[in-house]
Amino acid sequence: MEPVSFFVNGEERTVLAEADWTLLYILREKLGLTGAKCGCDTHTCGACRVILDGRAVNSCSVKAASLRGRRVETIEGLSSGPVLHPIQQAFIDAGAVQCGFCTPGMIMSAKALLDQNPDPDEEAIRRALSANLCRCTGYVKIVEAVRLAAGRMRGAAV
Amino acid sequence: MKTYNAIGDSLPIRDAELKVTGRKQYVGDMRVPGMLHAALLCSPLPHARIRSISTDRARALPGVRDVVTYREDPGVLFNSATRFYEHQIPNTERIFDSTVRYVGDRVAAVAADTPEIAQRALELIDVDYEPLPFYTDVETAAREGAYPIHGESNVITTMVHNAGDLEAGFARADRIFEDRYSTPPIHHGAIERHVAIADYDYTGKLTIISPNQNVFGYRIILSRIFGLPMSRVRVSSPAIGGSFGGKLEMTIEPVAALLSMRTGRPVRLELSRKQCINATRTRHGSVVYLRTGVKNDGTLVAQDIRIMTNTGAYAGSCMNVLGALSHKVFKMYKCPNIRFTGQPVYTNTPVGGAMRGYGSPQAFFGQQRQLQKIAKALQISLAELQLKNLVEPDALDPIGFYSLGNPRPLDCLRRGLELAENWGPLDDEGGKYAIGAGLAMGAHGNGCFGAHRDQICLMIKMNEDGTCVLYTGSHDMGNGSVTAQTQIISSILHIPTGWITVVEADSDACPWNLGDYASHGIYVAGSAAKKAAEAVARELQKEAAALLGEPEEGLTLEEGGVRSAATGELTPLDQVMIHAQNVSHREIICQETYAMPAGPTSYGAHLARVRVEKATGKVAVTDYVAVHDVGKVVNRMSIEGQLHGGIHMGMGYALCEGLSFDEEGRSCNDSFVTNPILRSHQMPRIQVDFIEETEPTGPFGAKSIGEAAVVPAAPAVINAIENALGVEINDLPYRFGGGAPAPREKEET
Repeated sequence: MEPVSFFVNGEERTVLAEADWTLLYILREKLGLTGAKCGCDTHTCGACRVILDGRAVNSCSVKAASLRGRRVETIEGLSSGPVLHPIQQAFIDAGAVQCGFCTPGMIMSAKALLDQNPDPDEEAIRRALSANLCRCTGYVKIVEAVRLAAGRMRGAAV
Repeated sequence: MKTYNAIGDSLPIRDAELKVTGRKQYVGDMRVPGMLHAALLCSPLPHARIRSISTDRARALPGVRDVVTYREDPGVLFNSATRFYEHQIPNTERIFDSTVRYVGDRVAAVAADTPEIAQRALELIDVDYEPLPFYTDVETAAREGAYPIHGESNVITTMVHNAGDLEAGFARADRIFEDRYSTPPIHHGAIERHVAIADYDYTGKLTIISPNQNVFGYRIILSRIFGLPMSRVRVSSPAIGGSFGGKLEMTIEPVAALLSMRTGRPVRLELSRKQCINATRTRHGSVVYLRTGVKNDGTLVAQDIRIMTNTGAYAGSCMNVLGALSHKVFKMYKCPNIRFTGQPVYTNTPVGGAMRGYGSPQAFFGQQRQLQKIAKALQISLAELQLKNLVEPDALDPIGFYSLGNPRPLDCLRRGLELAENWGPLDDEGGKYAIGAGLAMGAHGNGCFGAHRDQICLMIKMNEDGTCVLYTGSHDMGNGSVTAQTQIISSILHIPTGWITVVEADSDACPWNLGDYASHGIYVAGSAAKKAAEAVARELQKEAAALLGEPEEGLTLEEGGVRSAATGELTPLDQVMIHAQNVSHREIICQETYAMPAGPTSYGAHLARVRVEKATGKVAVTDYVAVHDVGKVVNRMSIEGQLHGGIHMGMGYALCEGLSFDEEGRSCNDSFVTNPILRSHQMPRIQVDFIEETEPTGPFGAKSIGEAAVVPAAPAVINAIENALGVEINDLPYRFGGGAPAPREKEET
């Protein structure tokens, strides 16, 4: 095992890790951050999605060895104390949450999109969410939630 | 007057805040001190006797605490789909058996200090198999002389239902159509995998924590397998990351329980996705032979439906699903002469079980496809054919002659046709694409009425500040059933939903509940919530009358208090409750049992438009309209979400999902890569609407949506593809040219 230092939600963390451990494993089993979920074992469901250096990635596809010095954002870092992030609030308000298992990964994909593009059209939203599987919602209200969040965040920024 | 959460309002699911922050604890997130990790060894062969099995090398691995095989099996045959204590269904399953009957069947399990050690130990179990003949399709398995997977025949039973006079009906027909349709087994695809924690403690009590839809059903089965009284078995389902019926029948819980009882340690078992697909449950595959007689004007006069369902390697819910299926086909059309013949058939494939639609997707696929063929042959539109034959609001079930409630399929179709008129023009890009529209109808029930008792008891306990605790055996899978219960209670007690906290799906803490079958969430559980809340309201009025010295009749619940008609004053509920405790020396705790009194049916009409690339056969569904007959909308946001999700799942049934098997009996589709779920960019523009004509027996007039939502989707999409391409498609999923699956976009990582 080797010590690996990287940033999680702005805070530097050092973990003793095997090189082939995944970021998902480290988050869930070593750092107690269970918001990212494992749904598929084949890097296809997006339930484990986090933001790595500004890009949404499946944390099950990122190995410990490649983490050194990098910046990871997880669902746990989104809300500020008891105040929800506008994307989280929009998911609630738009009815985008059913079983909730895909929700953290979905929100991280949405955040990566809105960080880059504050005013995405529907096509851009659908493409940004296409790495995330949802079995409950047909994605309709999830897309609505991202649009709602984008509008509110732009409003807040003005 | 301020009202809280009026029926029909939109209310987010009650634990949405926990889910959006990643703070919702699913069972896979839980860790118990001292917990061991289990792993399951599944059969690589579709049918075999275990000649010998050696666990010596596995046991010798440091960190391995126990290994169990058929030799450690408690020896009790059970049925994973047992619903209630006196339920009589075939018991064919053991935790571990010396014969394995499908690729994925349970061979052995290991409990170890870490998941990695448990996995490594599986590779050290040496099994010598004696292969047996196997079948992966029902038609071969059902042949006379086929090697029986259980008992003497793979055909478990033949179920026949008749309405009217079939032969006389066919004699009156101008045209008779005869076709064969097939649907594959389907993986539920909940994103949460199957996981269970079992803890057998030193008081002799077994606690199971797992995401499941039936804590009371599981308790019965576990108590029988292990010979424990029910007071020594507790099953809790604290969170469910999607289920759709996939966690309704018991699968892995007894494995974890057996290991826990032998090691004296809590044991956690979580399946891989591949195991979830191969080793849990599927929607039954089916083959349907359909013969329909019509008059030249389109009037349906006779329909003969013969169906074989693939129940897989164990009986499970073979009787329940077929039984449910057998009744649904009688509830859609005015056709008076119908015969239903159903046979559940064992095969050496994953076990068929409950899945959203519970027989309806299979039954309606063939029926709706054939109606399109009939309409074409008679040169009338499918819409016109439907409008001529759909049941009207006064309809009776043609077998039981009971009311179908207030069935409104005609209104659904009319409204759907109206909405589809707004579809804009689609570009075929100079003939590169073929464009087609299709429609289909579907129906589903509201509970188990007619099959057996369907009842739910709910309990509400008032706190001294006027807030309350709801104890419900409902398992909210994300479908919002418990949220709807709080909404109903809130609207009757006139308190905010935030004043209601919930103890949910725990066999020790909650009153008995049948289990979440048959879309009974709103119709039965919602009615139980209404009944329990009304009982609390009466007690609060009684107490307030004593407090205020006024007659009960003049007191109404309003705005978190009790309003006096005489004085106009509002007395807050905390004063009423303090009077109850301090003066009357009593608590206000009400439990009410609600038994389903009738069997209404819920209907839906779906219309889809597709654009098919002629060269590749690749389908894009571009537009979608769905209108459902739900009696009354209780929670608009939630019911829309249910319908959107049902459409998505039904589109997958049409286009890309389903298990097929290779020559060795192995599933070719055991991941989300080979068994894909539609992604956000593959979904069409969806417009939904609801017919709210009130179901007289439903709470506030409401009836179900959850399962009905999925039923019409696949035939609507396939009808559209057929209309685009001009080819007949009678087997799911759609395969361009009948060969390989239609090209799909590359999976993204």
